[in-house]
Amino acid sequence: MALLEVEDLRVAFGAATAVDGVSFTVDQGRVVGLVGESGCGKSVTSLAIMGLLPRGRGKPAPVQAAAAESAAGIAPVAPQPKARKASRSGADVSGRAVFDGTDLLSLPPASMRRRRGSDLAMVFQDPLSSLNPVVTIGRQITEVLQRHRGLKGDKANREAANLLDRVGIPDPTRRLKEYPHQLSGGMRQRVLIAIAVACAPRLLIADEPTTALDVTIQAQILELLKDLVETEGTALLMITHDLGVVAGICDEVNVLYSGRVVESAPVRELFARPTHPYTVGLLGSIPRLDLGTHEPLTPIRGSIADVIRWKDGCAFAPRCDRVAAACVEGEPALVGSSHVHRCVMAEEVA
Amino acid sequence: MLRYTVKRLLQLSVALLGLSLLLFAWFKALPGGPENQMLPENATLDDRAALRESLGLNEPVWVQYLEFLQRVVRLDLGSSLSSGRPVATELADRLPATIELSLAAMVIAVGIGIPLGYLAARKRGTWLDFAAVSGSLIGICIPVFFLAAMLKVVFAQELALLPSTFRLSSGLQYTDVTGLRVLDGLITGEFNVAGDAFLHLILPAVALSSIPLAVVVRITRASVLDVIGEDYVRTADSKGLKPAVIRGRHVMRNAMLPIVTVIGLLLGSLFAGAVLTESVFSFGGVGSFVYQATQERDYPALMGFILVIAVSYVVLNLIVDLSYGLLDPRVRVRK
Repeated sequence: MALLEVEDLRVAFGAATAVDGVSFTVDQGRVVGLVGESGCGKSVTSLAIMGLLPRGRGKPAPVQAAAAESAAGIAPVAPQPKARKASRSGADVSGRAVFDGTDLLSLPPASMRRRRGSDLAMVFQDPLSSLNPVVTIGRQITEVLQRHRGLKGDKANREAANLLDRVGIPDPTRRLKEYPHQLSGGMRQRVLIAIAVACAPRLLIADEPTTALDVTIQAQILELLKDLVETEGTALLMITHDLGVVAGICDEVNVLYSGRVVESAPVRELFARPTHPYTVGLLGSIPRLDLGTHEPLTPIRGSIADVIRWKDGCAFAPRCDRVAAACVEGEPALVGSSHVHRCVMAEEVA
Repeated sequence: MLRYTVKRLLQLSVALLGLSLLLFAWFKALPGGPENQMLPENATLDDRAALRESLGLNEPVWVQYLEFLQRVVRLDLGSSLSSGRPVATELADRLPATIELSLAAMVIAVGIGIPLGYLAARKRGTWLDFAAVSGSLIGICIPVFFLAAMLKVVFAQELALLPSTFRLSSGLQYTDVTGLRVLDGLITGEFNVAGDAFLHLILPAVALSSIPLAVVVRITRASVLDVIGEDYVRTADSKGLKPAVIRGRHVMRNAMLPIVTVIGLLLGSLFAGAVLTESVFSFGGVGSFVYQATQERDYPALMGFILVIAVSYVVLNLIVDLSYGLLDPRVRVRK
């Protein structure tokens, strides 16, 4: 059984839908990529799994359940309760995120807090803003050790130093007493990773962990994550827009577009036979050293704002070069078994 | 932290020196010279000459300034024109009342304002937020003397719940230690004095706290709203920390920086602004003394008062700066 099984995850902020029915699985010890451009819903997906989205006041109407009930004649179609206004920044989350047999989305906040930081942990994008500027590095590590492993005082400090050592920070005992601003960007990201792995989580979610870093540091951080995954058997959900990162670290990839998975495959398969035009477009817009210097890049035209709703057709259609009439005739389904995609014109692309 | 402290102390002395220059210049610039202000209109020329001589006004300006500095350092602020007693003594007699009142008002403002501002931010957009924001607007708008009078009418006269004048009930014996009656009562174990002084303190302190309370609520709300949205608060949340830890260590420690600044400034303005409240409640602090001094053009007394207020502003600012250093490690290392 998969360690994490995300099923039909939907997240809406008021009227805006950020994640529109995302499903994927992460197996023990595997590295799974969630790829897409800004705004495709990949970060929101990770925050929803972690239970870190500000809670909205309602859930999106469980359409299917209500329809099924009324069809079975159990209850007459009840008058819909007045749609409550979603709070200004609250997110309405539905679907399931089953982690080791438990649906994280239906856990009460207190139980979710016990799991966050211990069973599943997260590394964030911007290492400077993600560390508290007025609290020492040591305290920021030991507070999680104290919370989930009950370590205090010297014991906690020693363990924190071990953790820093393990993520490759020299002179860890001195660093424990320092503040985030005294560390370089790469070091700060290592600290965030140390915090995330402090309680040996079974699932680590990394949200663009290398985006804010220099290229050389990026490679080091990826090496470190890879190493942790291999030695600890941790599953890693890697959120990124960088296909280079995907190629370097992932076992499987899910490509997201406009809140849905449009293609999902093992990493070699995806790079060898990209099927969805969006994936093809992403790969085409990466600069390549093996092509001539005068070979132009082929960007994807339009922007992610040019969407139609998935239920009316393929959301990528307005930007797609191979768009056909069939593309906007209703919702495209995911097809395939190990390599799945959501394109009705797939034959043509392949 | 030591280097930072030393640096702040050096800055403090520069500020004080500048302050003394300003005061001296003001004293020199009094229309017609101080002797016209200090002597009755029918004073003879000899009287004036004698006063000029005694004030050292015939010396060169820089000598006068140095002598002025010397006097100030010795706390020799001259004698009050109306009472004839040394200004320093007059102020020392009255300052504790003002300090006690200001501190009490500040305790109310901080004790209610910070939690209320925090709640308003957390419950943003709810009735509680709305009530806190509009309540603080009202707090800023109501003139203190009006609020003071209303409190007096309602709680002292109509309901007869609280005393409305003086600092202690008459006939109560007390031992003076710091001059802050509540504190003195607690120190000496005269708990009846402490209790009585406390009751006398409530109405004036509430009246005086209305504006600082409103400001603290607003600043706290804005500052907490800023901090809640920060990535590091999300990180803290992702660690599964208990809400109390997130609130204290991650939200409030960062949100306190602007709040502390404002508290320092407000406290300074309370010392200076207690005048009205003190007179409504016959509290007998510096306020009434200054009011009288203004009416009677008692320049030495006014100068003494300004000096005290200015010095307390500077010192409060130093305390704010130092607590900044404690709260924010980035301030400490900044060159």
